[in-house]
Formats: sequence, structure tokens, C-alpha cells
Amino acid sequence: MKKTLALLGLTISSLGYSQGGPLIIKNLSTNYDFHGNIIANNFAGGCLPFVMSQDPEQVIVQAGNTVQYDNFRDQYNGSLSTVATWSVSVNSGLFGPRTWNHPTMVPGSIISKNTQWSHSKFQMYHAGTSNAETYFNGNIGNKNNPCLSASEYIDALPMGDASWFTVTSNGTVYTYLVIN
Amino acid sequence: MAAFAALILASCNNESTAVNTVESMKTPQMENFDKAFKSLGDPQNRPTEEEKKRNTSELSDRRKALLVPASKELILSSGVTEAELMRKTGGDMSQIIVWATQIYMKKSDEIRKNIKAEK
Repeated sequence: MKKTLALLGLTISSLGYSQGGPLIIKNLSTNYDFHGNIIANNFAGGCLPFVMSQDPEQVIVQAGNTVQYDNFRDQYNGSLSTVATWSVSVNSGLFGPRTWNHPTMVPGSIISKNTQWSHSKFQMYHAGTSNAETYFNGNIGNKNNPCLSASEYIDALPMGDASWFTVTSNGTVYTYLVIN
Repeated sequence: MAAFAALILASCNNESTAVNTVESMKTPQMENFDKAFKSLGDPQNRPTEEEKKRNTSELSDRRKALLVPASKELILSSGVTEAELMRKTGGDMSQIIVWATQIYMKKSDEIRKNIKAEK
């Protein structure tokens, strides 16, 4: 009986956790820096909660670097390119700022549990400069997101391309955005 | 004058070699891990029409398999034994890729800290 209960507990907690995992942005390009916003949202419930980077609006991943966002809170101390404030809408459709350490942004919160990394509107810049590459940008993200339309592959060859996919391990969804 | 120019050139060269970046300090296993991700974009490795039609963002098993050898190599380079790798992952491709990703992030952080310490 005890064993069954423990197993049940494990199953429930892993189900809860399966809602969100890290976002990993791998910029393998040698010529371009990635500048893009990052968005997580609910795929049901009228798209709410909806969370997007606000300060800074665009995170930067320099050519050759990989950045990981563990969750809305811990990314602030653990990531190379952090988000200090998120713009969040919970149920009204109105957006308001919430800092990384806001009590509602912790792992396991209603917002965390009901959102998944979904989208990035990005623009590539010539590495180390503020010169945008006219032909290398787009809306990349989960193609099944009913709230934002995006492609899982953006072809800007010969400059490069961008791919979005997940790898699910033990119920945790790892979301990858890979720039080539 | 020529000697002076040569001296300036030489000092510039020294400077450029002294600048270490995470990129230049990656271990061979980290580089191979990057290469494996890059290879997903090779024409023969891109999603097939059938894979595109799936109702999920999950990387297909065919494409996960492309990441596994470099992932294993990276995990083993961190001191984990082959037996341990099999025991912990049961050979599950997703677990191997995710584990390798975490080792990659940890190694990148270490390199970054070392560069900072040198400066």
C-alpha cells in the first residue's frame, strides 16, 4: 500500500513537472548574434497565462554560445543572458510586469505549471555589431501553439537557419532553439 | 621603420592569441556535440514530409539518433563510465541527449569562470 502511494505521488509530481522544463538556445552560427524575445504560454485556457521577456525584451545569445533558461526565476542567476522582468498576463488579458523573483514566478506556481516555452520572435545581427541581417529573422516556435503562429524551421540559407524542437526526458520537456 | 612595423604586428598577434573565448576553449567533445546539432540541418537529416506532418514538436527518433554518439562521448568525457551511463539511462536516447546538454552547460560555465579568473 505504502509503495503504491509513493508511486502515485511520484506519478503526480512528475505529471505536474511535465508542464515545463528548460529552454536551451544554441547559437551555432559563427557570423551572427541572436537577438530575440522569449515567450511561454498556455496552449489552452484562452492562451493564459502568457509570459514574455520584458526587461530586456530581447535576450542576446552571441555567436557560438549556448544559453539555458531553467525556469522564470532561476534563469536570473544561472543564465548567460538573463531576464530581470517578465511581462505577464494571467486572466484578464492585460499584461503587467513581474520581476524574476516575484512569488508567482517560482517553479511549481500556477503560472509555471500552466505554461510551456512556445515562441521567439528573433533577428540575427552581424556578430558583435548592431547591424541586423536583413534576411535572417522570423517567428520560430511550437507549430501547435494555438496562440501564436510560428514555424519550427526557418530557412535563411546561405546565412543560416533556425530550428525549434523538444526532447522529453523522464516527463520533463527540454525545448531547443538551434541556430546554424 | 620595417622593424618597428613588425614589432607592432607581433604585439597585435600576441594580443589576439591571449583573448580566450568560451568558443575557443571548448573541449573536443563539446565541439563534436555542437557539430551533431549542426548536422541536423544537413539536407538528408532535415525533417521528412512524414515527420513534418506529426502533431508534435518532439524530435523524431531518427534525428535523436544523430545526437546520441556525440552525447555519449561528452558524458563519458566527464568521468562517467559506460556501465554507469547504461544503468542511469537504460540507453534511452532522450535521457542521453538531455544529460549531455547539462554537462555541456556545466562545462561552458566552468570555462567562463576560468576566463574571468585569468583576466
